[in-house]
Amino acid sequence: MRKQLGFHINSSICTGCKACQIACNDKNDLSVGLKWRKVVQYGSGSWLSHPVQPAVYTPNNVYAYTVSFACMHCENPICVEVCPTTAMYKRDDGVVLIDANKCIGCRYCEWACPYGEPQFNETVGKMTKCNFCEDLLAKGENPACVDACVMRAIEFGDLAELRSKLGTVTAVEPLPVANLTKPSVVVTPHKHSQVSGRGTGRILGLVQEA
Amino acid sequence: MNIREWALIAFTILAQMSVGSFIVLGIVHFFAARKAGSEESDRLSDRALLAIGPTLLLGLAASLLHLGNPFNAYLAVSNLGSSWLSWEVLSGVLFAAVGGVFALMQWRKFASFAIRNIIAVVAAAVGLVLVYSMSNVYMLRTQPAWNTVLTPISFYTTTLLLGVLAMGAAFVANYAYVQLKNPGCADVQCVLLRDALRWFAITSIVLLGVELVVVPLQIANVAAGTTYAAQASAELYGQNGLLLGVRLALVFLGAGILGVFIYQNALSAGHEKVMGALAYAAFALVLVSEVLGRFLFYATHARIGL
Repeated sequence: MRKQLGFHINSSICTGCKACQIACNDKNDLSVGLKWRKVVQYGSGSWLSHPVQPAVYTPNNVYAYTVSFACMHCENPICVEVCPTTAMYKRDDGVVLIDANKCIGCRYCEWACPYGEPQFNETVGKMTKCNFCEDLLAKGENPACVDACVMRAIEFGDLAELRSKLGTVTAVEPLPVANLTKPSVVVTPHKHSQVSGRGTGRILGLVQEA
Repeated sequence: MNIREWALIAFTILAQMSVGSFIVLGIVHFFAARKAGSEESDRLSDRALLAIGPTLLLGLAASLLHLGNPFNAYLAVSNLGSSWLSWEVLSGVLFAAVGGVFALMQWRKFASFAIRNIIAVVAAAVGLVLVYSMSNVYMLRTQPAWNTVLTPISFYTTTLLLGVLAMGAAFVANYAYVQLKNPGCADVQCVLLRDALRWFAITSIVLLGVELVVVPLQIANVAAGTTYAAQASAELYGQNGLLLGVRLALVFLGAGILGVFIYQNALSAGHEKVMGALAYAAFALVLVSEVLGRFLFYATHARIGL
């Protein structure tokens, strides 16, 4: 099997602090509105009023958990498939990158990617996305999100190794079902994690301030 | 109204109208030539042919305005192996080129009738490939509202509907011009015009029937979908219900009711003025309806995932 880098996202210990997102924004100097890494909160449930004392509420199946996600550097990347210019390409180590010289800013990849990862930079008129902090990787360092996580809930490495060590879960709600693009990720589910595509909850928070 | 995709609305509508017009014109020219000879047939259709080119070029220009970096647009044909968008761009440019060559030859009467015919058929085929590629661009596996055979059906329907009605309006304008310049030739032209418009009216009524089936099926498709994205699309259709109603009312009025009146007025000589006014009105109403329909196409899609 060809080499494929991937992330491990440990949703079971993620606190949703968004340090990864902020570190990514900072390290990559992203302008307002662009977010290569995002943290989504998913959950469900309600509070039931006490029949005698209406001011007293008890939780009814309340649960919530968070999942950090960025480009999944998919094994079957739909962005690379649909890009008309071949600006979007997969490097030998499996990292999906954009050749900015070729990008025409047609935003077709934005329509296609189920992770909303390729994002349009209005200023330069081209797409941008997570590049796995390729400059840091080249220096033997870790991607910014990995080092920023206070819970050590993000790891990266060779996908095959990650899978053998940590399992083969590649999607939980609200991430899209994995067969669309075969994401290069291993997710350690939260105890309340729902099966992707068949969850009982809803997205509670995704859009954050830059 | 979110008109973020105005450039794509303009491009897809104008390009489809050009393909439809070209094909309709070819068919009319063929039958008119059999009935009245190629000279009268040319007189009927040559000026209309010259209107198609600018329409297509306007559409292609609009497509460039969609791009963040139009200077690299020539690179868009680089991924024919897996991107339908590359095919769309290639077939769009080829249709413009082959159609343009044909229009020039037909206008100047270069080469023989047979050779011009072959080039016209090639251009028409490329045009059909263009509409097919255009449909496939939207049939992404992450876009449940678009990823259905209803997308190509609706695109081809729009192509032909705008084609017949645009050519109807163009023929009427051409007839008025021919009469002005040379009243003597009006008789044969008048018969050909009425023949063409009768067939245009029948065709537009049939295509209206197709649209009245396809639009509800598009809504049913997302309403029956199991993904959140499909449900979101169904909700968006609900939010745009008024616009959808206006769009359907306009196409019903233009292609259906005016179609019947056009047919009636085209049955016998002497009603050319009324018939002409109706043909202009039908084209205008259906064009507005199709633009609204395309707006809804972009306003009601939702992607699977985050």
